[in-house]
Amino acid sequence: MTGTRSGAGRARRRLQLLLPLGLPLLATGCGRENLLDPASPQQHKIATLWWVMMGVAWFGLALIGFLLALGWLRRKREGLPGGGGDRVATALVVGLGVAAPIVSLSALFVWSDIFVMRATSAPNPSSTSLTVEVTGHQWWWEVRYPGTRAVTANEIHIPVGARVNLVGKTADVIHSFWIPKLNRKIDLIPGRTNRIVLEATRAGRFRGQCYEYCGLQHAHMGMEVVAESPARFRAWLANMAKDAAAPSTSMQRQGREAFLNEACSGCHQIRGTDAHARVGPDLTHVASRATIAALTLPNETGTLAGWIVDPQHDKPGARMPALDLQGPEVQALVAYLESLR
Amino acid sequence: MNVFAVPARRSRARGWWGMALFAATEATLFGTIFGTYVYLRFKAVHWPPDGIASPSITIPLVLTGVLLATSAPMQLASAAARSGRARRAQALLLLALVVQAGYFAMQLQRYADDVQAHPPQLSAYTSITQLMVGADHFHVFVGLLLNLFLLAKLMDGRVTAYRRTGVQAAALYWHVVNALTVVVVLLQLSPSL
Amino acid sequence: MTVLAPPVEERVELLDRIWEERPGVLGWLTTVDHKRIGLLFFFTSLAFFAAGGVEALVIRTQLAGPDQRLVGPQTFNELMTMHGTTMIFLFVVPMGLGAFGNYLVPLMLGARDLAFPRLNALSYWIFLASGLFIYTGLFVGQGPDQGWFSYVPLALKQFDPSLGPDFYALGLIFNGLSTTATAINLVTTIFKLRAPGMSLNRLPLFCYAQLAAAGSALILLPPLTLDLVLLELQRKAGFHFFDVAAGGSPMLWQHLFWLFGHPEVYLIVLPAFGITTSIIPTFAKRKMVAAPLVALAELLVAFIGFGVWAHHMFSTGMPTSALVFFAAATFMVVIPSTVQIYAWLFTVNLGRPEFRTPLLFVGAFIVFFVIGGLSGIMFAAIPFDQATTDTYFVVAHFHFIIFGAAVFPILGGMFYWFPKVTGRMYHEGWAKASFWLTFSGTALTFFPMHIAGLLGMPRRVYTYPHGLGWDGYNLAETIGGFILTAGLVLIAANLVFSRLRGAPAGPNPFRGPTLEWATSSPPPPYNFAVIPTVRSEYPGWDDEALFEDRRRLERGLGTYPDGHRQPEATVRDAYPDDVADMPSESGWPVAVAVLLSLMFALTLTSHFVAAGVVAGLAGLAAAAWLWKEPAE
Ligand code: HEA
Ligand code: HEA
Ligand code: HEC
Ligand code: CUA
Ligand SMILES: [Cu+2]
Repeated sequence: MTGTRSGAGRARRRLQLLLPLGLPLLATGCGRENLLDPASPQQHKIATLWWVMMGVAWFGLALIGFLLALGWLRRKREGLPGGGGDRVATALVVGLGVAAPIVSLSALFVWSDIFVMRATSAPNPSSTSLTVEVTGHQWWWEVRYPGTRAVTANEIHIPVGARVNLVGKTADVIHSFWIPKLNRKIDLIPGRTNRIVLEATRAGRFRGQCYEYCGLQHAHMGMEVVAESPARFRAWLANMAKDAAAPSTSMQRQGREAFLNEACSGCHQIRGTDAHARVGPDLTHVASRATIAALTLPNETGTLAGWIVDPQHDKPGARMPALDLQGPEVQALVAYLESLR
Repeated sequence: MNVFAVPARRSRARGWWGMALFAATEATLFGTIFGTYVYLRFKAVHWPPDGIASPSITIPLVLTGVLLATSAPMQLASAAARSGRARRAQALLLLALVVQAGYFAMQLQRYADDVQAHPPQLSAYTSITQLMVGADHFHVFVGLLLNLFLLAKLMDGRVTAYRRTGVQAAALYWHVVNALTVVVVLLQLSPSL
Repeated sequence: MTVLAPPVEERVELLDRIWEERPGVLGWLTTVDHKRIGLLFFFTSLAFFAAGGVEALVIRTQLAGPDQRLVGPQTFNELMTMHGTTMIFLFVVPMGLGAFGNYLVPLMLGARDLAFPRLNALSYWIFLASGLFIYTGLFVGQGPDQGWFSYVPLALKQFDPSLGPDFYALGLIFNGLSTTATAINLVTTIFKLRAPGMSLNRLPLFCYAQLAAAGSALILLPPLTLDLVLLELQRKAGFHFFDVAAGGSPMLWQHLFWLFGHPEVYLIVLPAFGITTSIIPTFAKRKMVAAPLVALAELLVAFIGFGVWAHHMFSTGMPTSALVFFAAATFMVVIPSTVQIYAWLFTVNLGRPEFRTPLLFVGAFIVFFVIGGLSGIMFAAIPFDQATTDTYFVVAHFHFIIFGAAVFPILGGMFYWFPKVTGRMYHEGWAKASFWLTFSGTALTFFPMHIAGLLGMPRRVYTYPHGLGWDGYNLAETIGGFILTAGLVLIAANLVFSRLRGAPAGPNPFRGPTLEWATSSPPPPYNFAVIPTVRSEYPGWDDEALFEDRRRLERGLGTYPDGHRQPEATVRDAYPDDVADMPSESGWPVAVAVLLSLMFALTLTSHFVAAGVVAGLAGLAAAAWLWKEPAE
C-alpha cells in the first residue's frame, strides 16, 4: 500500500517538475490549504485526478497553440501543410472536434465520476469508527461528538488512521465545509444533512474554512482539523466531555461571577455553571483551543482580552456585541476563561 | 424575374411571430411554475399540509371548459379578419369577450374567497398554489384587455394589415392561455384527483 | 423603358427624407432606428463595463496583499455583488445582443430595421432604467450584498433586512423585460426580414449565433424571473418558498437560478462566437471551413446548455444518479465548442490570414477560450469540482471564458466594425499595442487565480490572512488587473481619437463578405437604398449580385420609396411575400419605460397599491402607443 502510494507520489513530483504550472506550486512548498498536498487516501485520489487532467489539458492547449502558430507561419501560403483543402480540414474538424473529445472525455468520465467519486462519496456509517457533528453558524463552527458530552468550536480533533464520519448541518444560512488536504467539500444546507469521510493518514493540523458565501464575515470562518494519535485523541475527548474546571484563584472566581452576571451567559455555555445558552460557542474548554473567533485570532491573553472588549474590531459584524466592560472585569474574565483548559 | 411580386396567400406576418415568441416565453414561465409546484409537492410529506382541505373539483373544471370553448370564436375571428370581414370578426371577438369576462368575474370571486380561506402566507402549498392560479387569472385579464383593444380598433369596420395581424396574434394568445389554464387547473386540483 | 427614370440621387434623397429622424436630444429620445438604438446600448453598456471594472479594481486592490483594509466587509460584499451583476446583466448581454445584435443583424440581413422598432426603443429605455435602478441601491447605501447568485436563506429578510436584495431582484426582473423584448425582436427579424434570396442556408453565421442566443434568452429568462418573483413574494409578502419550516426548500432557489444561469453563460458567449465567425473569413480571405457544422454547433450549444445546470451544485449533496447525469451532460456540451474552435483554426490555416487587430483579438479569444474551456471540463470531474468549487479556481475559469472568450471578440468586433459605424479607420499601430497590453494583462490577472484556487483560496472573501501561500499570486493578479485596464483605456483612446481624426474608411475597407459592407459607412437611416438580392452565402463577395443591385437602384426597383417600408419574407426561403410598414419615431417607449420604473420603485418601497395604479397607467400608455398604426 505505502509502496504504490509513494510510487504515485514520485510520479506526481515528476509531473510537477515537468509541467510549468507545477513550478510555482513547488516554489510555495505546501500551502496550508493546498489541495494538492493530500493527507488522506480520498484527497490523494483527487490530487492525482488533477495532475492527470492538467497534463492532458496542457497537451490540448499546446495543440491549439501549434495550430495558431501554424496559421501565422503559413500566412502567405494557402492550404494545409500537406496541401489539403476544405475536405481534409472538415475531416480534421470532425476528428479533433468530435471524435477525440468523445474518446478522452468518456475515459475521464468513467475514471472520475465513477471510481474517484465512489471513493470520496458519503461514507457508509458502519465503515466508520467515530462520528463528528459539525454545525455551521454565522461565522463559526459548532463541533459535537455524538454519544459523548463533548462540545467545542472551530477545532475538530480526530484520531489518525481512523475513518471518521463527519456530519454537516447548518443553524442559519448555507455554509460549506472543506479541509483541502483531507477530502472534497460538503455544503451545509438548511433542512439537509451532508456527510463526508475524514481519514487522516498523518498527524497534523489541517486548516479549512467556510467556502460558501455566508454574509459579512464569510472571510473569517475558519476551522482546523487536528489529527493526532488515538491515545492523545482519547485523552482529549475525555477532557472535552468533562465539566469546566472550578476557578482556583480569586481573580478567576471574580471572572466567573462576571461571566454569569454580565450578558456573556446569555449567549455562551460553560458546562458546570449556570451558563447554558447556545447562541455562541461553548466555552467550557475554551482555553484548550489554539485560536478564537474561527481562526481569526490566536488564543492568547492579549487577543482574548481584545476580543472580549471589542469583538467588532477584528471581526466586524460578528454576532457578539461589544459590551461595556471595565478593565478589571475584563482581566478577571480573561483569567477565568484561560483557566478553562 | 420580378422577385418582388406579392403572392395572394401570405406567410405569417411578423406581428404573429412576435406574439408566438412572446407566448413561448410565457409558456416557459408557466412551465417553471409547474416545475416549482411539483418540486415542492414531492418535498412535502402531506400535500396539502394538515389542516388544509383538498380543493373541490366540479366548478373549476366546468369553468375551465367554458374558457376553453372560447378558443373557437377566437379562431373564427382570426379567420374572418384574414378574409377582411371586419364586422364578423368583431362579433366573434365580442362573443368570446363576453364569455371570457364572465369566466373571469366568477374566477376572481372564487379566488378572493380562496385567498381569504387559505392565505399564501400559510405554507409553501398555499404560496405556490395561489401564485400559480393568480398568474393564470392575470393572463386571462390581459387577454380581456387585448380583445377590448381590438374591438375598439375594428370600430370603423375596416381590416388593415395591422389589425388583421392583431386579431391573429390575439387568437394565438388565447389558445396558449387556455392551454396553460388547463394545466394550471389540473395541477391545482391534483391533490383531489 | 421609355420613360426616363428619375436619377439615382433623387431616389436617394427621397429615401433620406422619408427616413429622416428628429435632430438633437429629442431625436435620441424618440428614435426607433436600430443603429442609433444600438449605439445607445453600446455606450450605456460600456459605461456599466467601466463601473464594473472600477469595482473589480477596488476588489483587486483590496486583495493585493493579506489583511488589507481598504474597504470593510460590507462595502466589499456590495462591490463584489455589483461587479458580477453589472458585468453579466448590464454589460455583456446588452453589449452582445443590444449593441452588436441590434446594430448588425438588420444590416447583415439586408433589412432596414428590426421587426419591431418601437419595441426595440422600449427595450433600450428599460435596460437603462433597470441599470440605474440597481445602482440606486448602491448609492443610497442599500446595495445588493448577497453575491450575484443570491443564495437563500442568506438573501431572505431574516438574514438581510436591507433593501439590497430587493434592488437586485426587482432590478433584474425589470432588466429581463428588456432582454426578452430584444430577443423577440431579433428572432422575428431573422425569421421575417431577410433580404430576398437569403434562405436559411445563406444566413450569415453571425446571425445564427444571434438567433441561438436570442432564442435561448426567451427560454432561460423565465426561470430567473420566477425565482426573483418568489424571492420578492417571500421577502415582501410573507409567502413561503425557500424556508424549510413552512415546507419550502433553499434548493429550489438554486435549481431555478442555475436553470437560468448555465444557459445564460452561452447566451453571453454566443454573440462572441458570432463576431469571431465574422472576423475570421474576412481576414483569412476565404469562406468558413465546415460552415454548416458551425451553424449547427451554435444552435446546439444553446440547446444542450439547458441540461447541465446542476453542475453548479455538485457539492450540495444531490443523489449520485443526478450528479452523474449532469456531469455526463456537461461533458457533452463541450463538443459544439470544440467543433467551432477547430473550424476557426482550420479556416485561418487554409486561408492567407492577414493578422490585423480584429484577428489578433480573435486569436487571443481562441487561446483564452481553450484555457477556460479546459478548466470547465475539469469541473465535470465531480470530485475535482467538489474540491475546487467556490475557490479562485472557479473565478479563474469563468474570467478566462467571460473576459477572454466573450469580451475579447467584443473588443475585436469594436475595431472590426469601427469603420462601418463611424466611416473612419482606427489607428492600426496603437491598436496592436493595446492588444498586446490587454492580452498580457488578462493572462497575468486571471492565470494565477488557478493556483490560488488550488491552494485553497475561497472566492468572495474580503480579506485573507498571511501565511497560506496566496500573497504572491494575488499581488500578480492585481498588477495584471491594472495592466489590463491600461490596455482597455488605450483601446478607448484609440477609438475616440480615430473617430475624430481617423482616415476615411470607405464602405468596405476589409473586404468583408456580409451585407453590412455593401452599404455606405456609416449606413444611411434606411440602411440600403435598394433592398439587396442574395444569391450566395457570402453576398459581399458576390460582385455580380452587388452590381445588379446597383442597376436595380438605377431602374428604381426594390427601393420601397412610399413610406417606412421594406419587404417581409417567408421564414425558410426568404421569398418576399408582403411589404411591411415600419413605424416611425415615437415618444411612447420612453413614457412606458418611465412609468415602469416608477412602478418598480413603488414596489421596492412597498407601495403596492400605487404600484398597481402606475402599472395600469403603463398599460394605457402602451395602448395609446399601439393605437396609431404604422401605415397611417
Ligand atoms: C461565457 C461564459 C461561460 C462559458 C462559455 C462556460 C463554459 C463552460 N463551463 Fe463555465 N462558468 C461560467 C461561465 C462560463 N462557462 C461562470 C460565470 C461560472 C461561475 C458561476 C458562479 O459560480 O459565479 C462557471 C462555472 C462553471 C462550473 C461550476 C463550477 C463550480 O462552481 O463548482 C462548471 C462545472 O461543470 C462549468 C463548466 C463549463 C464547461 C464544461 C464549459 C464548456 O462549455 C467549455 C467548452 C469549451 C472548450 C472545451 C474549449 C475548447 C477546447 C479545445 C478545442 C481543446 C481540446 C479539448 C478537449 C480534448 C476536450 N462552469
Ligand atoms: C462579463 C463578466 C465579467 C467581466 C468582464 C469581469 C472582469 C473582471 N473581473 Fe470579474 N466577476 C464576474 C464577471 C466578470 N468579471 C462575476 C460574475 C463574478 C462573481 C461575482 C460573485 O461572486 O458574485 C466576478 C468576480 C470577480 C472577482 C472575485 C471576487 C470575489 O470572489 O471576491 C475578481 C477578483 O479579482 C474579479 C476581477 C475582475 C477583473 C480584474 C476584471 C477586469 O477584466 C475588469 C477590467 C475592466 C475595466 C477596468 C473597465 C475599463 C473600461 C473601459 C476602459 C471602458 C472605457 C469606458 C468609457 C470611456 C465610458 N471578478
Ligand atoms: C449576543 C451574544 C453574545 C454575547 C452576549 C457574548 N458572546 Fe461571546 N460569542 C458570541 C458569538 C456568536 C461568538 C462567535 C463569534 C465568531 O466567531 O464569529 C462568540 C465568541 C466568543 C469567544 C471565542 C470563542 C471561540 O472559541 O472562538 C469568546 C472567548 C467569547 N465569545 C467570550 C464572551 C464573553 C466573555 C462574553 C461576555 C463578556 C461574551 N462572549 C458575550 C456571542 C456572544
Ligand atoms: Cu460560512 Cu461562508
Ligand atoms: Cu454552468
